[in-house]
Amino acid sequence: MKNKTSVERTSPCLAVRILRSEAVRSILSSVLCIIGGILVGAIILILLAAFSEDIPISDAFSGLLIILGGPFASGNTADILFNLGDMLLEAAPLMMTGLSVAIAFKTGLFNIGAPGQYLMGAMTSLLVALSIPTTEQNAFFVWLLALVAGVLSGMLWGAIPGLFKAVFNVNEVIVCIMTNWIAANVVSWIFSITGDRYINIAETKTKFIRTTASNGVATPKLGLDKLFPGSNIDISIFIVIAIAIVMYLMINKTTFGYELKACGYNKNAAKYAGMNEKRNIILSMAIAGGLAAGGAALWYLNGKNDFLWNTYSSLPSEGFNGIPTALLAGNNPIGVIFSATFLRYIDKGGFNLAGYTAFNEYVSDLIVAVIVYFAGFSKLFRDLLVMKKKRKNKIDPGK
Amino acid sequence: MEQRANAREYPYIIEMLNITKEFPGIKANDDITLQLKRGEIHALLGENGAGKSTLMSVLFGLYQAEKGEIRKNGEKVRINDPNDANDLGIGMVHQHFKLVDVFTVLDNIILGVEPGKMGFLSKKKARQKVLELSKTYGLNVDPDALIEDITVGMQQRTEILKMLYRDNEVLIFDEPTAVLTPQEISELMEIMKGLAKEGKSILFITHKLNEIMEVADRCTVLRKGKYMGTVDIKDTNVQELSRMMVGRDVSLVVDKGPAAPGETVLSVKNLSVKSKLHKRDAVHKVSFDVRRGEIVCIAGIDGNGQTELVQALSGLDKPYEGSIELSGEDVTRKSIRYKNTHGISHIPEDRHKHGLILDYSLGENMVLQRYFEKDFQRGGFIKFDAVRRYSDALIEQYDVRSGQGAATPARSMSGGNQQKAIVARELDRRHDLLIAVQPTRGLDVGAIEYIHSRIVKSRDEGSAVLLVSLELDEVMSMSDRILVMHSGEIVAELDPKETTVEELGLYMAGAKRQNTGDTEDEK
Repeated sequence: MKNKTSVERTSPCLAVRILRSEAVRSILSSVLCIIGGILVGAIILILLAAFSEDIPISDAFSGLLIILGGPFASGNTADILFNLGDMLLEAAPLMMTGLSVAIAFKTGLFNIGAPGQYLMGAMTSLLVALSIPTTEQNAFFVWLLALVAGVLSGMLWGAIPGLFKAVFNVNEVIVCIMTNWIAANVVSWIFSITGDRYINIAETKTKFIRTTASNGVATPKLGLDKLFPGSNIDISIFIVIAIAIVMYLMINKTTFGYELKACGYNKNAAKYAGMNEKRNIILSMAIAGGLAAGGAALWYLNGKNDFLWNTYSSLPSEGFNGIPTALLAGNNPIGVIFSATFLRYIDKGGFNLAGYTAFNEYVSDLIVAVIVYFAGFSKLFRDLLVMKKKRKNKIDPGK
Repeated sequence: MEQRANAREYPYIIEMLNITKEFPGIKANDDITLQLKRGEIHALLGENGAGKSTLMSVLFGLYQAEKGEIRKNGEKVRINDPNDANDLGIGMVHQHFKLVDVFTVLDNIILGVEPGKMGFLSKKKARQKVLELSKTYGLNVDPDALIEDITVGMQQRTEILKMLYRDNEVLIFDEPTAVLTPQEISELMEIMKGLAKEGKSILFITHKLNEIMEVADRCTVLRKGKYMGTVDIKDTNVQELSRMMVGRDVSLVVDKGPAAPGETVLSVKNLSVKSKLHKRDAVHKVSFDVRRGEIVCIAGIDGNGQTELVQALSGLDKPYEGSIELSGEDVTRKSIRYKNTHGISHIPEDRHKHGLILDYSLGENMVLQRYFEKDFQRGGFIKFDAVRRYSDALIEQYDVRSGQGAATPARSMSGGNQQKAIVARELDRRHDLLIAVQPTRGLDVGAIEYIHSRIVKSRDEGSAVLLVSLELDEVMSMSDRILVMHSGEIVAELDPKETTVEELGLYMAGAKRQNTGDTEDEK
């Protein structure tokens, strides 16, 4: 003990220690990201208003308030409740893709394959939900089966880049991008050959697949639709929050998570310790794939959401938006709940912007994009927070 | 010119006065003064984490000191980055050479200061200068040889030439002898003396006391970030230096009784491992036994198959031929986990690559091979309380210095303490065979003494110990039997009591070999 105490230590007071703690720095950096994004967004609004003859400069300020107000800037109470409900509904799949990316990041992998996994999940769960007639089977059972099938398909799809990485040491980013486009084409191809069976001909919306409600399959609402009248909200948000908590516990508290992270941080040391690092890479990607696909399954099993089946030329934005969601959350599964909700909140504000000011909907998309873009800087802000502390300690040696 | 003449008279070329540098939770340098005389060899001695590296980083502009100043020829200077240091004529030979393997010696020397006009290289003058320098200082090296083809000693000379080519006056050697054979070490000592005679000032960072006694003029000692004093080598001795460094008397001889070998624990037969670098085998038909209660040491120059041999034993690599038996059981094809849990402890060669997960806390690293055991998990959930208690006990027992105990991020610890943590972990696991690869690399005298005594204790408690070391002192003092490896083969089996460092060096260099297994072994 004598040796230890003789090393001089600075013991900062509690407040300083809290400020220096990893968690606080993480949250602080995310908040700074958001503020940075909002500031740049405000500048864009002001510039646009200043250079446009149609937009009064006052709109720039009220526009900013509308964006910050999110669903609460919707006017009357009915609209606010409707938008709040939809916000929570739309947050669920984003949380899932955010979790997908975050878990992969935690284990040292970059899952940019979430869009493809999302598509596979959407296709599989729709096929199952629409193929089994609810006249013969319990609707809830069909719903559950469709959800599980969707998740499994995503796990398989996610395992592919994991397999290539583990066995052939091919970078997962390359394989993920390839599997994204393969998924996009596979989905288009499957629905084009199955034709009338799934395409929404009845409502003459031939670009879309029939909603699962047409087969009586829908996620339970448990009265949430009464709480948020007019909204399609279902219990998916609660399911996802539960999954986020499970993921948090898995990654931080279990031997399984310990192994996954060990392989992500240092593959060689994990191998040295006797872990099966190849298996763990594949499992990490499979879990990530399952989460992204689960997000899609929950979204389309809602019963009211249309699936645009001709996906071969575009990938779903939910997949890619999982990346800023995870970054903004510092890859913490619990943080993902908040970051995804926040991004959807801003989305609603952007939607209102076009309705209440002279800015058009593209501007609102732009502002939201700027904020999302800034989410990517959270690591930079975190490093800046550390640097600031260092610089304070510095004195000019040249004086 | 006049000013320059004045500068010449000032006795100290570089002075670091009252340097203080603090990191969160620790004062790495606390009021340290180091004065380097022109033309002297000045040793900087200290344990791991004593602040040697921090002090050199301050001199190199990698860190800025909070207090204190740096002077050159008595004038205050400001060193903000390594370029400033370079402009002041300060050069460094790093422990790990910074050379481009596929370039020639000459190309490496001129790298960064390429002579030429309008983007075209003109190497003629550079070659002239390099040849002159190597003649003046006796640095024998072929300027047109590729780095990957020459020996480590030659590579080191290339590094020295690099500094001289840049007209550096202050040369810093960071533990330069760690990678050399005894013959190369004595050559390096001569080179250093020659450089000093020609007016270069040398700062020699080391923790090998005999080298300091042999070559240095003065020695500055640091302990736990504090300045312990500067002594003239002619007025001191090894015991005094080690006392200054560690703060107590240190036994410099490994205290171990005679070995009492029992039954065979490890039996390797005809083992061959393919090389990843060349077509030949990295390990070629190697056979040997290690018995309970003995320390068998594999000596050899780095890169002669020791790494591959150990990886084959531990399971990190697969042999293509031969067998490995552990206490009579064939474990050649068994998994790493199986070997870990069936009696093999392994202190790996590269602590950052294999030994630790730097992003994990010290506590999490302490259970790297045991997290799944009943003591540390219940129903798949890690018992973090138990992990913390266990690692705090190990930290205490093995004197691992860390800022925040079990919660300390492994990355933030000094190299020596990281190594101590690994040693603690591996020795505490139940083991019949301990494979220790350079267990004291980069450690100070106090820690080496401690780790050596623990390894001997492990032997005395009945473990078989296979020690792989590049340090001849360690080989000679620790082993009960020595196996010398050269080019992937075991070329000699020696008894440390009957052999000399010189003879060992000849076997290591491949100049001599026994016909192992043959009865006509030379004595």
